[in-house]
Amino acid sequence: MASAGILLAGWQAGAHIAESSASAVTTSDVNGAAAGTGSDGTGSSGAGASAKAGAAAKAGGSFTGTAVQTRFGTVQVQVTVKGGVITDVTALQLTDAEQRSVQISNRAAPVLRSEVLDAQSANVQTVSGATVTSDAYLTSLQGALDAANF
Amino acid sequence: MPRTSDLRSRTFRSMGTVVSLTVPAAHGLTGPEAKVLELEAATTAVEQVFLAHDRTFSLYRPGSEASAIARGELALAQASDDMRRTHAEALRWRLDTEGAFTPERPDGVLDLAGIVKAQAIMEAGTVLLALGLQDWCLNAGGDVLAHGSPEPGRGEPWRAGVVDPADRGALVSAFPLGPANSRSALATSGTAERGEHIWAAGLARTASSGFRQVSVAAADIVTADVLATAIMAGGRRTLDIATGRWDVDVLAVSNDGGLLATPGFRT
Repeated sequence: MASAGILLAGWQAGAHIAESSASAVTTSDVNGAAAGTGSDGTGSSGAGASAKAGAAAKAGGSFTGTAVQTRFGTVQVQVTVKGGVITDVTALQLTDAEQRSVQISNRAAPVLRSEVLDAQSANVQTVSGATVTSDAYLTSLQGALDAANF
Repeated sequence: MPRTSDLRSRTFRSMGTVVSLTVPAAHGLTGPEAKVLELEAATTAVEQVFLAHDRTFSLYRPGSEASAIARGELALAQASDDMRRTHAEALRWRLDTEGAFTPERPDGVLDLAGIVKAQAIMEAGTVLLALGLQDWCLNAGGDVLAHGSPEPGRGEPWRAGVVDPADRGALVSAFPLGPANSRSALATSGTAERGEHIWAAGLARTASSGFRQVSVAAADIVTADVLATAIMAGGRRTLDIATGRWDVDVLAVSNDGGLLATPGFRT
Protein backbone atom coordinates (compact mmCIF):
# COMPACT_ATOMS: atom_id res chain seq x y z
CA MET A 1 0.00 0.00 0.00
CA ALA A 2 2.84 2.29 0.79
CA SER A 3 4.17 1.94 -2.70
CA ALA A 4 0.72 2.55 -4.14
CA GLY A 5 0.58 5.73 -2.13
CA ILE A 6 3.90 6.78 -3.54
CA LEU A 7 2.80 6.06 -7.05
CA LEU A 8 -0.32 8.06 -6.52
CA ALA A 9 1.64 10.86 -4.97
CA GLY A 10 3.72 10.83 -8.10
CA TRP A 11 0.61 10.93 -10.24
CA GLN A 12 -0.84 13.81 -8.31
CA ALA A 13 2.33 15.80 -8.43
CA GLY A 14 2.66 15.26 -12.15
CA ALA A 15 3.72 11.89 -13.35
CA HIS A 16 7.09 13.19 -14.39
CA ILE A 17 8.11 13.55 -10.78
CA ALA A 18 7.68 9.87 -10.19
CA GLU A 19 9.65 9.10 -13.31
CA SER A 20 12.21 11.85 -13.30
CA SER A 21 13.11 12.16 -9.67
CA ALA A 22 13.78 8.49 -9.33
CA SER A 23 16.22 9.05 -6.50
CA ALA A 24 13.73 11.08 -4.53
CA VAL A 25 11.03 8.48 -4.94
CA THR A 26 13.39 5.72 -3.90
CA THR A 27 14.30 7.67 -0.81
CA SER A 28 10.64 8.13 -0.06
CA ASP A 29 10.13 4.42 -0.35
CA VAL A 30 12.90 3.64 2.10
CA ASN A 31 11.77 6.24 4.56
CA GLY A 32 8.14 5.38 4.21
CA ALA A 33 6.41 7.92 2.06
CA ALA A 34 3.11 6.88 3.52
CA ALA A 35 4.24 7.45 7.06
CA GLY A 36 0.87 7.45 8.67
CA THR A 37 -0.71 10.41 10.29
CA GLY A 38 -4.05 8.71 10.19
CA SER A 39 -5.52 5.93 12.24
CA ASP A 40 -2.16 4.36 12.78
CA GLY A 41 -0.73 7.43 14.39
CA THR A 42 2.23 9.43 13.32
CA GLY A 43 4.70 7.33 11.44
CA SER A 44 8.42 7.61 11.54
CA SER A 45 11.02 6.86 8.97
CA GLY A 46 12.18 3.37 8.26
CA ALA A 47 10.81 0.23 6.74
CA GLY A 48 8.69 -0.36 9.80
CA ALA A 49 6.72 2.77 9.12
CA SER A 50 5.92 1.56 5.62
CA ALA A 51 4.72 -1.74 6.98
CA LYS A 52 2.61 -0.03 9.61
CA ALA A 53 1.24 2.39 7.05
CA GLY A 54 0.41 -0.54 4.81
CA ALA A 55 -1.51 -2.23 7.55
CA ALA A 56 -3.21 1.00 8.49
CA ALA A 57 -4.09 1.69 4.90
CA LYS A 58 -6.23 -1.41 4.81
CA ALA A 59 -8.29 0.02 7.60
CA GLY A 60 -8.27 3.54 6.28
CA GLY A 61 -7.01 6.94 7.17
CA SER A 62 -4.99 9.76 5.79
CA PHE A 63 -1.37 9.42 4.93
CA THR A 64 1.04 12.22 4.29
CA GLY A 65 3.72 11.73 1.69
CA THR A 66 7.26 12.89 1.93
CA ALA A 67 7.89 16.44 0.79
CA VAL A 68 9.52 16.28 -2.61
CA GLN A 69 11.60 19.11 -4.00
CA THR A 70 10.70 19.97 -7.56
CA ARG A 71 11.53 23.00 -9.62
CA PHE A 72 8.03 24.22 -8.85
CA GLY A 73 8.80 24.20 -5.17
CA THR A 74 8.07 21.71 -2.43
CA VAL A 75 5.29 19.30 -3.17
CA GLN A 76 3.65 17.09 -0.59
CA VAL A 77 0.46 15.14 -0.90
CA GLN A 78 -2.00 13.53 1.43
CA VAL A 79 -3.67 10.29 0.45
CA THR A 80 -6.96 9.28 2.01
CA VAL A 81 -7.74 5.59 2.13
CA LYS A 82 -11.03 3.94 3.02
CA GLY A 83 -11.32 0.16 3.17
CA GLY A 84 -8.05 -0.26 1.28
CA VAL A 85 -9.16 2.02 -1.54
CA ILE A 86 -7.67 5.42 -2.19
CA THR A 87 -10.53 7.88 -2.12
CA ASP A 88 -8.76 11.20 -2.22
CA VAL A 89 -5.41 12.75 -2.94
CA THR A 90 -4.81 16.28 -1.72
CA ALA A 91 -1.85 18.52 -2.38
CA LEU A 92 -0.75 19.76 1.02
CA GLN A 93 2.07 21.95 -0.09
CA LEU A 94 2.47 23.63 -3.40
CA THR A 95 4.86 26.38 -2.63
CA ASP A 96 6.93 28.31 -5.02
CA ALA A 97 8.41 31.76 -4.93
CA GLU A 98 5.21 33.43 -6.09
CA GLN A 99 2.77 31.29 -4.14
CA ARG A 100 0.82 30.90 -7.31
CA SER A 101 -1.36 28.00 -8.21
CA VAL A 102 1.24 25.80 -9.74
CA GLN A 103 0.76 24.10 -13.02
CA ILE A 104 2.99 21.21 -12.28
CA SER A 105 3.15 19.39 -15.53
CA ASN A 106 5.61 20.81 -18.00
CA ARG A 107 5.81 17.36 -19.46
CA ALA A 108 6.36 17.05 -23.17
CA ALA A 109 3.29 15.50 -24.76
CA PRO A 110 2.63 14.22 -28.27
CA VAL A 111 1.27 16.97 -30.50
CA LEU A 112 0.29 17.37 -34.11
CA ARG A 113 2.32 19.65 -36.32
CA SER A 114 -0.63 22.01 -36.43
CA GLU A 115 -0.49 22.29 -32.63
CA VAL A 116 3.02 23.71 -32.25
CA LEU A 117 3.89 27.37 -32.64
CA ASP A 118 3.67 28.10 -36.31
CA ALA A 119 6.70 29.12 -38.27
CA GLN A 120 6.98 30.72 -41.64
CA SER A 121 10.48 31.53 -42.72
CA ALA A 122 9.23 35.06 -43.34
CA ASN A 123 8.55 35.73 -39.67
CA VAL A 124 11.66 34.36 -38.02
CA GLN A 125 14.95 36.21 -37.68
CA THR A 126 17.10 33.19 -36.96
CA VAL A 127 17.00 29.41 -37.33
CA SER A 128 17.87 26.74 -34.81
CA GLY A 129 18.87 23.33 -36.07
CA ALA A 130 21.37 20.56 -35.65
CA THR A 131 24.85 21.91 -36.16
CA VAL A 132 25.58 22.44 -39.81
CA THR A 133 29.00 22.24 -41.39
CA SER A 134 30.41 25.38 -42.94
CA ASP A 135 29.57 23.97 -46.36
CA ALA A 136 26.00 23.02 -45.50
CA TYR A 137 25.51 26.46 -43.99
CA LEU A 138 25.74 28.02 -47.44
CA THR A 139 22.53 26.34 -48.53
CA SER A 140 20.78 26.49 -45.14
CA LEU A 141 17.90 28.72 -44.10
CA GLN A 142 20.19 30.56 -41.71
CA GLY A 143 22.62 31.13 -44.55
CA ALA A 144 19.80 32.60 -46.64
CA LEU A 145 18.70 34.88 -43.79
CA ASP A 146 22.24 36.11 -43.19
CA ALA A 147 22.75 36.73 -46.90
CA ALA A 148 19.53 38.71 -47.06
CA ASN A 149 20.59 40.81 -44.08
CA PHE A 150 24.12 41.52 -45.25
CA MET B 1 15.47 35.98 -50.57
CA PRO B 2 14.02 39.49 -50.20
CA ARG B 3 14.93 41.56 -47.20
CA THR B 4 12.10 40.90 -44.81
CA SER B 5 13.18 43.20 -42.04
CA ASP B 6 15.66 45.91 -41.26
CA LEU B 7 18.30 43.63 -39.90
CA ARG B 8 22.00 43.38 -40.57
CA SER B 9 24.07 40.21 -40.14
CA ARG B 10 27.76 39.38 -40.18
CA THR B 11 29.22 35.88 -40.06
CA PHE B 12 32.50 34.07 -39.47
CA ARG B 13 33.63 30.47 -39.40
CA SER B 14 34.60 28.81 -36.16
CA MET B 15 34.47 25.38 -34.53
CA GLY B 16 33.69 23.75 -37.87
CA THR B 17 30.53 25.76 -38.41
CA VAL B 18 29.36 29.31 -39.07
CA VAL B 19 28.55 31.92 -36.45
CA SER B 20 26.13 34.77 -37.28
CA LEU B 21 25.58 37.98 -35.40
CA THR B 22 22.40 39.88 -36.31
CA VAL B 23 21.32 43.32 -35.12
CA PRO B 24 18.53 45.70 -36.09
CA ALA B 25 19.67 48.35 -38.49
CA ALA B 26 19.24 51.73 -36.87
CA HIS B 27 17.41 54.61 -38.48
CA GLY B 28 17.71 58.28 -37.82
CA LEU B 29 20.77 59.98 -36.43
CA THR B 30 23.18 57.10 -36.27
CA GLY B 31 22.29 55.88 -39.74
CA PRO B 32 22.57 52.35 -41.05
CA GLU B 33 26.23 52.82 -41.99
CA ALA B 34 27.25 53.64 -38.44
CA LYS B 35 25.31 50.63 -37.24
CA VAL B 36 27.15 48.34 -39.64
CA LEU B 37 30.51 49.57 -38.37
CA GLU B 38 29.36 48.83 -34.84
CA LEU B 39 28.16 45.39 -35.95
CA GLU B 40 31.45 44.60 -37.63
CA ALA B 41 33.42 45.62 -34.55
CA ALA B 42 31.14 43.49 -32.37
CA THR B 43 31.49 40.54 -34.73
CA THR B 44 35.27 40.76 -34.43
CA ALA B 45 34.99 40.74 -30.64
CA VAL B 46 32.70 37.69 -30.77
CA GLU B 47 35.07 35.96 -33.16
CA GLN B 48 37.94 36.43 -30.69
CA VAL B 49 35.89 34.75 -27.95
CA PHE B 50 35.22 31.74 -30.18
CA LEU B 51 38.85 31.58 -31.30
CA ALA B 52 40.11 31.59 -27.72
CA HIS B 53 37.80 28.70 -26.79
CA ASP B 54 38.70 26.76 -29.91
CA ARG B 55 42.46 27.18 -29.33
CA THR B 56 42.14 25.63 -25.89
CA PHE B 57 39.48 22.97 -26.42
CA SER B 58 39.58 21.86 -30.07
CA LEU B 59 40.65 18.28 -30.72
CA TYR B 60 41.15 19.33 -34.36
CA ARG B 61 44.07 21.56 -33.35
CA PRO B 62 47.17 19.46 -32.54
CA GLY B 63 48.56 22.33 -30.49
CA SER B 64 45.50 22.73 -28.25
CA GLU B 65 45.47 21.88 -24.58
CA ALA B 66 42.65 19.41 -25.24
CA SER B 67 44.81 17.57 -27.79
CA ALA B 68 47.70 17.39 -25.32
CA ILE B 69 45.36 15.80 -22.77
CA ALA B 70 43.97 13.39 -25.38
CA ARG B 71 47.53 12.28 -26.24
CA GLY B 72 48.28 11.71 -22.57
CA GLU B 73 50.95 14.41 -22.48
CA LEU B 74 49.09 16.57 -20.00
CA ALA B 75 47.20 15.46 -16.90
CA LEU B 76 43.91 17.17 -16.10
CA ALA B 77 45.25 18.07 -12.68
CA GLN B 78 47.99 20.07 -14.38
CA ALA B 79 45.65 21.63 -16.94
CA SER B 80 44.61 25.28 -17.05
CA ASP B 81 41.91 26.70 -14.82
CA ASP B 82 39.61 27.04 -17.84
CA MET B 83 40.07 23.39 -18.73
CA ARG B 84 39.51 22.12 -15.21
CA ARG B 85 36.52 24.39 -14.64
CA THR B 86 34.90 23.29 -17.91
CA HIS B 87 35.63 19.65 -17.13
CA ALA B 88 34.07 20.02 -13.68
CA GLU B 89 30.98 21.64 -15.19
CA ALA B 90 30.66 18.83 -17.73
CA LEU B 91 30.87 16.25 -14.95
CA ARG B 92 28.18 18.10 -13.01
CA TRP B 93 25.95 17.97 -16.09
CA ARG B 94 26.61 14.25 -16.41
CA LEU B 95 25.47 13.78 -12.83
CA ASP B 96 22.43 16.02 -13.23
CA THR B 97 21.32 14.30 -16.45
CA GLU B 98 21.90 10.88 -14.91
CA GLY B 99 24.61 10.05 -17.38
CA ALA B 100 22.85 11.13 -20.57
CA PHE B 101 25.33 13.96 -21.11
CA THR B 102 28.93 12.88 -20.87
CA PRO B 103 32.18 14.62 -21.77
CA GLU B 104 33.90 11.41 -22.72
CA ARG B 105 33.87 9.77 -26.10
CA PRO B 106 33.25 6.01 -26.26
CA ASP B 107 37.01 5.56 -26.69
CA GLY B 108 37.59 7.34 -23.40
CA VAL B 109 39.02 10.54 -24.85
CA LEU B 110 37.88 13.65 -23.04
CA ASP B 111 35.85 15.78 -25.46
CA LEU B 112 34.37 18.93 -24.02
CA ALA B 113 33.11 20.19 -27.39
CA GLY B 114 29.55 19.45 -26.28
CA ILE B 115 29.74 22.28 -23.78
CA VAL B 116 32.50 24.52 -25.14
CA LYS B 117 30.52 26.02 -28.01
CA ALA B 118 27.71 26.97 -25.63
CA GLN B 119 30.24 28.52 -23.25
CA ALA B 120 31.65 30.53 -26.12
CA ILE B 121 28.16 31.74 -27.06
CA MET B 122 27.46 32.70 -23.45
CA GLU B 123 30.74 34.57 -23.11
CA ALA B 124 30.24 36.30 -26.45
CA GLY B 125 26.84 37.47 -25.23
CA THR B 126 28.47 39.00 -22.18
CA VAL B 127 30.98 40.75 -24.43
CA LEU B 128 28.18 42.17 -26.58
CA LEU B 129 26.42 43.56 -23.53
CA ALA B 130 29.71 44.99 -22.28
CA LEU B 131 30.09 46.73 -25.65
CA GLY B 132 26.73 48.35 -25.06
CA LEU B 133 24.73 46.32 -27.57
CA GLN B 134 21.24 45.66 -26.27
CA ASP B 135 19.53 44.18 -29.32
CA TRP B 136 21.22 41.25 -30.98
CA CYS B 137 20.85 37.64 -31.96
CA LEU B 138 23.82 35.29 -31.98
CA ASN B 139 23.56 32.00 -33.88
CA ALA B 140 26.42 29.51 -33.73
CA GLY B 141 25.75 26.56 -35.97
CA GLY B 142 22.07 26.46 -35.07
CA ASP B 143 22.36 27.29 -31.37
CA VAL B 144 20.84 30.68 -30.60
CA LEU B 145 21.22 33.30 -27.89
CA ALA B 146 19.24 36.51 -28.23
CA HIS B 147 18.93 39.76 -26.32
CA GLY B 148 16.51 42.63 -26.70
CA SER B 149 14.41 42.82 -29.85
CA PRO B 150 14.75 42.82 -33.64
CA GLU B 151 12.49 45.88 -33.56
CA PRO B 152 13.64 47.79 -30.47
CA GLY B 153 10.88 50.37 -30.74
CA ARG B 154 8.15 47.76 -30.65
CA GLY B 155 9.78 45.39 -28.22
CA GLU B 156 8.93 42.30 -30.23
CA PRO B 157 10.91 39.22 -29.22
CA TRP B 158 13.40 37.62 -31.56
CA ARG B 159 11.69 34.68 -33.21
CA ALA B 160 13.79 31.59 -33.84
CA GLY B 161 12.60 29.00 -36.31
CA VAL B 162 13.25 25.32 -35.68
CA VAL B 163 14.43 23.52 -38.77
CA ASP B 164 12.46 20.47 -39.94
CA PRO B 165 14.83 17.50 -39.76
CA ALA B 166 12.96 15.86 -42.64
CA ASP B 167 13.33 18.93 -44.86
CA ARG B 168 16.01 21.33 -43.81
CA GLY B 169 14.60 23.94 -46.16
CA ALA B 170 11.48 24.11 -44.00
CA LEU B 171 10.66 24.93 -40.39
CA VAL B 172 8.76 22.66 -38.05
CA SER B 173 8.08 25.34 -35.44
CA ALA B 174 9.26 28.64 -34.04
CA PHE B 175 9.93 30.02 -30.59
CA PRO B 176 9.99 33.59 -29.23
CA LEU B 177 13.18 34.42 -27.35
CA GLY B 178 12.81 37.18 -24.83
CA PRO B 179 12.43 38.24 -21.23
CA ALA B 180 8.66 37.69 -21.38
CA ASN B 181 9.03 33.92 -21.16
CA SER B 182 12.52 33.89 -19.56
CA ARG B 183 13.88 32.00 -22.54
CA SER B 184 16.84 33.72 -24.16
CA ALA B 185 18.43 30.64 -25.64
CA LEU B 186 17.39 27.89 -28.03
CA ALA B 187 19.62 24.96 -28.92
CA THR B 188 18.91 22.08 -31.25
CA SER B 189 20.65 18.76 -31.37
CA GLY B 190 20.09 16.15 -34.00
CA THR B 191 21.31 13.52 -36.33
CA ALA B 192 20.29 15.35 -39.48
CA GLU B 193 23.52 17.24 -39.96
CA ARG B 194 27.07 17.06 -38.68
CA GLY B 195 27.67 14.39 -36.06
CA GLU B 196 26.86 15.94 -32.74
CA HIS B 197 28.81 15.12 -29.65
CA ILE B 198 26.26 12.65 -28.49
CA TRP B 199 27.57 9.58 -26.85
CA ALA B 200 24.67 7.33 -26.00
CA ALA B 201 26.64 5.74 -23.19
CA GLY B 202 24.81 2.47 -22.73
CA LEU B 203 21.47 4.18 -23.17
CA ALA B 204 19.01 2.25 -25.24
CA ARG B 205 17.94 3.84 -28.47
CA THR B 206 15.09 2.45 -30.47
CA ALA B 207 13.06 3.79 -33.35
CA SER B 208 10.05 4.39 -31.15
CA SER B 209 11.76 6.04 -28.18
CA GLY B 210 14.66 7.70 -29.93
CA PHE B 211 14.66 11.23 -31.26
CA ARG B 212 15.83 12.53 -34.55
CA GLN B 213 16.05 16.10 -33.33
CA VAL B 214 15.63 17.83 -29.99
CA SER B 215 15.28 21.58 -29.38
CA VAL B 216 15.51 23.07 -25.90
CA ALA B 217 14.65 26.67 -24.96
CA ALA B 218 16.10 27.91 -21.68
CA ALA B 219 17.20 31.04 -19.88
CA ASP B 220 20.82 30.33 -20.74
CA ILE B 221 22.52 28.72 -23.71
CA VAL B 222 24.60 26.18 -21.77
CA THR B 223 21.51 24.63 -20.20
CA ALA B 224 19.70 24.63 -23.56
CA ASP B 225 22.62 23.06 -25.41
CA VAL B 226 23.57 20.45 -22.83
CA LEU B 227 19.97 19.32 -22.33
CA ALA B 228 19.32 19.09 -26.08
CA THR B 229 22.37 16.85 -26.39
CA ALA B 230 21.40 14.83 -23.31
CA ILE B 231 17.83 14.23 -24.51
CA MET B 232 19.11 13.12 -27.91
CA ALA B 233 21.32 10.59 -26.15
CA GLY B 234 18.93 9.52 -23.40
CA GLY B 235 15.58 9.57 -25.19
CA ARG B 236 12.21 9.89 -23.50
CA ARG B 237 13.52 9.18 -20.03
CA THR B 238 15.99 12.04 -20.18
CA LEU B 239 13.33 14.27 -21.74
CA ASP B 240 11.14 13.78 -18.66
CA ILE B 241 14.11 14.34 -16.34
CA ALA B 242 14.89 17.59 -18.13
CA THR B 243 11.37 19.01 -18.08
CA GLY B 244 10.97 17.98 -14.45
CA ARG B 245 14.20 19.49 -13.16
CA TRP B 246 14.82 22.54 -15.30
CA ASP B 247 12.67 25.45 -16.34
CA VAL B 248 12.85 24.69 -20.04
CA ASP B 249 10.66 24.12 -23.06
CA VAL B 250 11.35 21.20 -25.35
CA LEU B 251 10.33 20.25 -28.87
CA ALA B 252 11.42 16.74 -29.82
CA VAL B 253 11.02 15.13 -33.23
CA SER B 254 10.85 11.34 -32.95
CA ASN B 255 12.55 9.01 -35.37
CA ASP B 256 9.09 8.21 -36.72
CA GLY B 257 8.41 11.91 -37.39
CA GLY B 258 6.07 12.50 -34.47
CA LEU B 259 6.38 15.56 -32.25
CA LEU B 260 6.59 15.90 -28.49
CA ALA B 261 6.23 19.41 -27.09
CA THR B 262 6.03 21.14 -23.73
CA PRO B 263 3.31 23.81 -23.33
CA GLY B 264 5.66 26.65 -24.34
CA PHE B 265 5.97 25.21 -27.83
CA ARG B 266 2.23 24.68 -28.28
CA THR B 267 -0.20 27.12 -29.77
